[in-house]
Amino acid sequence: MKNLVIGATVLILCLGILYVGVGLEFGVPLFTDMDEYFVSHGQEQTGGNNIVTDIVFDFRGFDTLGEATVLFTAVLGAGLVFRKRGEDEEYEYE
Amino acid sequence: MIELVVQGAVLTGLVIAAVLIIHFRDLLSAAVAFGIFSFLLSLEFYILQAPDVAIAEAGIGAGLTTAIFVMAIRGTQRMEEVEE
Amino acid sequence: MNMSKIVREAANLLFPFILVFGFYIVLHGHLTPGGGFQGGAVIATGFVLLFVAYSYPQITERIGVGALHNTETLGLLLFIVTALIALGFGVTFFTNWMLDIGPILNNPVAFGPNPGDLNTAGVIPVMNIAVGIEVLGALSVIVLYMMSGTKETI
Repeated sequence: MKNLVIGATVLILCLGILYVGVGLEFGVPLFTDMDEYFVSHGQEQTGGNNIVTDIVFDFRGFDTLGEATVLFTAVLGAGLVFRKRGEDEEYEYE
Repeated sequence: MIELVVQGAVLTGLVIAAVLIIHFRDLLSAAVAFGIFSFLLSLEFYILQAPDVAIAEAGIGAGLTTAIFVMAIRGTQRMEEVEE
Repeated sequence: MNMSKIVREAANLLFPFILVFGFYIVLHGHLTPGGGFQGGAVIATGFVLLFVAYSYPQITERIGVGALHNTETLGLLLFIVTALIALGFGVTFFTNWMLDIGPILNNPVAFGPNPGDLNTAGVIPVMNIAVGIEVLGALSVIVLYMMSGTKETI
């Protein structure tokens, strides 16, 4: 039963990828209005020449805030795992 | 044409480096081969006109990950144990 | 335990050049490819090169774990405060407020490909520097934590 579910999921995923992949040529991304807007207005609205940085730090600022928070949380987790343990604190590695 | 030749050479080098990572019994050599793999991957990103990803890959993949592997090997043992 | 003298000398020699290259990527983030995250990763690579070459006690008597942790926190705070100041001018969170109000970093920029000017782009260079020092502190301190957990036998 479990194998059947996994097989069906993989089959559906493969068919979906094939369905999208047949319609699109390799290396030709979909043309959308947002791309055109960013390319033609990004430079004058933010003042930066590098459009990637303009989008990352200005148009999509909340994404960058989330990324910085993820990095901070990763450091907290690493500090928790490798913290200095006291002599009387009992622990063992499995 | 010259771009195609360079890209083919880089992709061949990627496959060779990936096979070497699995083949080596000396773990330090495998870590260095992984660094070479990451460097060639960043070169491939640069050829495909994604310089931002290339810089991040060169810094994190070839620098930090290799350093973490070297530290782990210094903490444990250098040769891989062969299980019969 | 140290690595050999060749590795240590090479790390000492390469460290300032990696630092200069990383700060170049961070400061020119709004003109050339790269930005805060990539530049911070390159600088962290330079620090990690020193960490690999020397032993853990030798590292921690020069570079404290707390100092790197404070650097990371400072970067995150600078990032959030720069975004929050926009609220004080009556515009929304993450608005590029330096372009309209600030006396610096707001030279006009021409449309199309041009060499670029460092004194442009308003709030973006500040956020580049903030994210740069945050990533530098975070990646270095994670590797330093991992180094403290190993017993160096070889």
